[in-house]
Amino acid sequence: MKPIIRFKKFFRFFSAMPALGWLFGFLTAVIIEYLIGDNIAWMLGLPKIPALFGFLIMLKKPLLIPGASAYIIIVYLLPLTLTARFCSGTINKIAAKLYKLPTPVYTVLYLIFLYIIIDIWAGISDYRIVTIKLTFIAIILTLSLNVINGYMGEFSCSHTGFMALGAYTASTVTLILCANDKLFGEALLPSYLAPFLFPIALIAGGIIAAIGSLLVAIPSFRTRGDYLAIISLAFMFIVKSLIENLEVLGGARGMGSQPHLANLPTVFIWTALSIWIINNFVTSIIGKATNAVRDNETAANAMTVNTRKTKIVTFMFAAFWAGIAGGLFAHVLCYVNPGTFGIKKLAEIFTMVYFGGLNSVVGSIIGAISFNLASEALRPLELFKWIIIPVIMILIMIYKPTGLVAFKEFNIKKILAPKGDK
Amino acid sequence: MEYFLQNFINALQWGSFYALIALGYSMVYSILMLFNFAHGDIFMIGAYIGFCIASLFILLFGGAAPGWLVLILTIIVSMFLTSLLGVLIEKIGYRPLRNAPRASAAITGLMIGIILETSNIAIFGTKRIAFPQLVETVTYNISGVFITNKKIIIVAISLFLMAGLHFFIEKTKWGMAMRAMSYDFLTVPLMGISLNVIAPLTFAIGSALAAAAGILYGLAYPVLDPYMGILLGWKAFVAAILGGRGSILGAALAGFLLGFIEIFTAMIFPSTLRDLIAYSIILIILTVRPHGFFGKAHSSSLRL
Amino acid sequence: MKKLSLILTAIFFALFVLSTSGWCWGKKKTIKIGINAPITGDIPKVGENTKNTAKMWLEDIEKAGGIEIAGEKYPVEIIVEDNEAQAESAVKTNTKMITEDEVIIVIGPQSSKQAIPAGGVANSYATPMISPWSTNPDTTKDRPYVFRGCFLDPFQGPMLANFAKNEFGYTKAAVLYDVASDYPKGLAEYFKQSWEKNNGEGSVVSYESFTTKDADFSSQLTKIVNSGAEVLFVPQYYNEVALIVKQARELGWKKPILGSDSWGSSETITLCGSDCYGAFFSTHYAAAGAEGITKEFIDRYKEKYGYVPDDVCALTWDSLKLAQNAIESLTEFSGDIKKDRVKVKNNLAKIKNFEGVTGNMSFTSDGDPVKCAVIVKISDTGEFRFYKSVCP
Repeated sequence: MKPIIRFKKFFRFFSAMPALGWLFGFLTAVIIEYLIGDNIAWMLGLPKIPALFGFLIMLKKPLLIPGASAYIIIVYLLPLTLTARFCSGTINKIAAKLYKLPTPVYTVLYLIFLYIIIDIWAGISDYRIVTIKLTFIAIILTLSLNVINGYMGEFSCSHTGFMALGAYTASTVTLILCANDKLFGEALLPSYLAPFLFPIALIAGGIIAAIGSLLVAIPSFRTRGDYLAIISLAFMFIVKSLIENLEVLGGARGMGSQPHLANLPTVFIWTALSIWIINNFVTSIIGKATNAVRDNETAANAMTVNTRKTKIVTFMFAAFWAGIAGGLFAHVLCYVNPGTFGIKKLAEIFTMVYFGGLNSVVGSIIGAISFNLASEALRPLELFKWIIIPVIMILIMIYKPTGLVAFKEFNIKKILAPKGDK
Repeated sequence: MEYFLQNFINALQWGSFYALIALGYSMVYSILMLFNFAHGDIFMIGAYIGFCIASLFILLFGGAAPGWLVLILTIIVSMFLTSLLGVLIEKIGYRPLRNAPRASAAITGLMIGIILETSNIAIFGTKRIAFPQLVETVTYNISGVFITNKKIIIVAISLFLMAGLHFFIEKTKWGMAMRAMSYDFLTVPLMGISLNVIAPLTFAIGSALAAAAGILYGLAYPVLDPYMGILLGWKAFVAAILGGRGSILGAALAGFLLGFIEIFTAMIFPSTLRDLIAYSIILIILTVRPHGFFGKAHSSSLRL
Repeated sequence: MKKLSLILTAIFFALFVLSTSGWCWGKKKTIKIGINAPITGDIPKVGENTKNTAKMWLEDIEKAGGIEIAGEKYPVEIIVEDNEAQAESAVKTNTKMITEDEVIIVIGPQSSKQAIPAGGVANSYATPMISPWSTNPDTTKDRPYVFRGCFLDPFQGPMLANFAKNEFGYTKAAVLYDVASDYPKGLAEYFKQSWEKNNGEGSVVSYESFTTKDADFSSQLTKIVNSGAEVLFVPQYYNEVALIVKQARELGWKKPILGSDSWGSSETITLCGSDCYGAFFSTHYAAAGAEGITKEFIDRYKEKYGYVPDDVCALTWDSLKLAQNAIESLTEFSGDIKKDRVKVKNNLAKIKNFEGVTGNMSFTSDGDPVKCAVIVKISDTGEFRFYKSVCP
């Protein structure tokens, strides 16, 4: 009994720590890693700083497990615990002061703080940057699919199609305007304008994806659920086949040499923006209307919800964000190929949505991050990875059929609030 | 004319695979209202089981038994074994999720499919396997139209199986129980028909049909590969839903229709545009007939 | 109680430190080579072959005691990463191998879908990369650090077209290819171009396609059979070849069939059987009747893994040998990985007349090899017989 009580006591001070405290803890951790991480790793017998919390090292070289776990304890857990133990009070006071500012102001401040941490953390290894960028894109994708599958309760299989539309449109715009390549020739604009044009390219991609989504949304006036699943599936096949046949876009050979525009801050800003806008959307009147359509369309109609408009707007909204994610994806990889946007990718997005939880912004974020990290960490297992991940997923579905954190509202105010001392 | 007839026969063969697989989808979908996304992979496992059984028979009998006998025995044994797999999948993957949202069950199916593919690679290795040639190919040339005996066997066996299923569903007591269940699986169990009997039975029949499709597929396209069920499965899924809920005939017809659309678009238009045109046609069909061929508009309580 | 736990924690930590530091200090500098292979995903066979070949190569090196640079032997480590046959995974694994594992050279990824984005990564980190199997020109284009092991479509396509014209005098050809996969598509396009240049506009009487994972080609083949073509060109992978050729025969096609280097696997015959007898294809080497190091390689591989190596194995082997060659000709192994990489790249670009199992090769300024192709005829016993050698 005693050790358990002590254990609980040990972790009690974590509960008094506000979000700011966690950020401070992580900041100290990443600064320590940045300054003396190499030395610590060397002393523990590790060849380098473990890139993804040591998971990769542990699975590849089991002999290094003690060293890697010691590294995690020293570099991450120790600073976190110490901050929580000794600085909670002070940080709470700062958090309370910040909390008095208008919500958008302190949210932005927190985001800047978060970005600094991520930047320092990712600055240690480029491998971290790539992983983080793709994880962020996965968050946008998961969130946008959650809008259709979770909030509206349809089973849409066309998300990779929207993504492909966005990726190809954004790439076409940047390739025509900002890059010298063999498909469209010389760049039309000087290269210093490229970073400013990139958002326009992305939005263009999103808009094309949204227009494409009308092909799915309009027939869906007349059908429900199951027929929508095959309409959207047919849409996915159509988009893939269309791109394969468009020689202008490179066809099956794909489209390459996009300029390196999707750097970490850009992806971070777009992700933060997507979380903010999607969260606003689902809590707005139209978001509530989508929920009503899901729960009972006839009743919603009777309650003056314009179900047609709701469906079409929701569909276009989700497709827009899928298009943005596609555009970012294309510029992170600097190459797209119609084969990338197939059934495999679709299964991946489904997994993230249903793992994290339906009807929940937090759930989608958690789902995307944990799936990406797990999939990265388990890579050394090769074939067994594809047994372990599905088994975990099936267990989740059996014990939590709607996902880990389903039907939770994402309230930024609550998350960032200071924890009062008791 | 020969050209058209030739493609008609091609489409008949290709459509029978879609139809057989779509039937399995449609059974589970009609009776339990589930998307069984593992079905394509059950089809793949069925083909592999068929390969093992056929190799075993060839090893046991050598040349003593005629090919058609081995084929029929293989089909029967593999149908039985695969139906056991179907029951197992129902028990592990779907029964615990009976009260969960239907989409969760669909995801479980997807995951079971990945497990089946991966374990297949773990067992058989990564190389593709040639399906044993049980029947010697004979090509008949009827005034310019080429028909092989295999095509006849495949179409005949699949039509026989479909007719058998139709008889089972329409004329037997079990079939009646299944039809009843497809109307309402909340009330019917109160009438003394256990869902825990009907659901495994549905999965068993669906998987058995998938196994038969797998072996016939191996006969026609003798290269087995662990991922061969994915695309075929998704397309058959389209056919199954297109047929309409609660309609076995509809699923079979939609399967054939899909086969015909794919073959004939490739015939009429440049074949690079095949998927584009074929699925646009499906999209148009669904816009015009939003509930499939034989389906009825269902009530809102049957939603995901 | 408190004391005890304190002591326990102390011992625990001491163990951490002691257990780990032993084997890392005072270790010799190792040469690390990254293998980026599709071990899971759509093409697991390719990944397995890559991995097996790399292991065989490593065995050789270990037997020799490491790679010798300027008179000193350094141990070699290969780092195999799984790219899941996906572009984003290939980018991640390449970044990981280059920045985390600090490999001196990357071998792979095999197919162009992964090799193009991964090549971009390798080039931007100034790390040499050899993709053994990627035929897409974009992989190496404008990327001084990226090389490839196979010949390109613009060589192979016209070569086959000329062969059919000069050898048999055919004037009408049909092509059946996978529109969703870039290797067959590229080859089909170059074949068509050159065929029409030889025989006039419209001499490719039927130009049909399908999509990856299709199994039924009857509609396309019916068109081809009725088009009056004299030869059918099928630039497909061996699993599809088996299906296409069988169905073509069933639909009454009795004329010759021409294939590309992707036919060059022993599995072609296992899967296709007697229907493929008499077909011609171009490849890097003919397994039956191979001589010299090629035969040695085939025999060794067969003995070790139990099957005849296909083109992936042979090309990966050559790429590894090329890498070894470039590393061995370094003047010193400084341990400063960035400098060493640049030197390895310069050495690679300088390689002339390298004798590999897939023939002699030199690199062009683009990083593409110049080497001869072999035309092989499948004999009536299912063996790949040498028919003709064609050099650029």
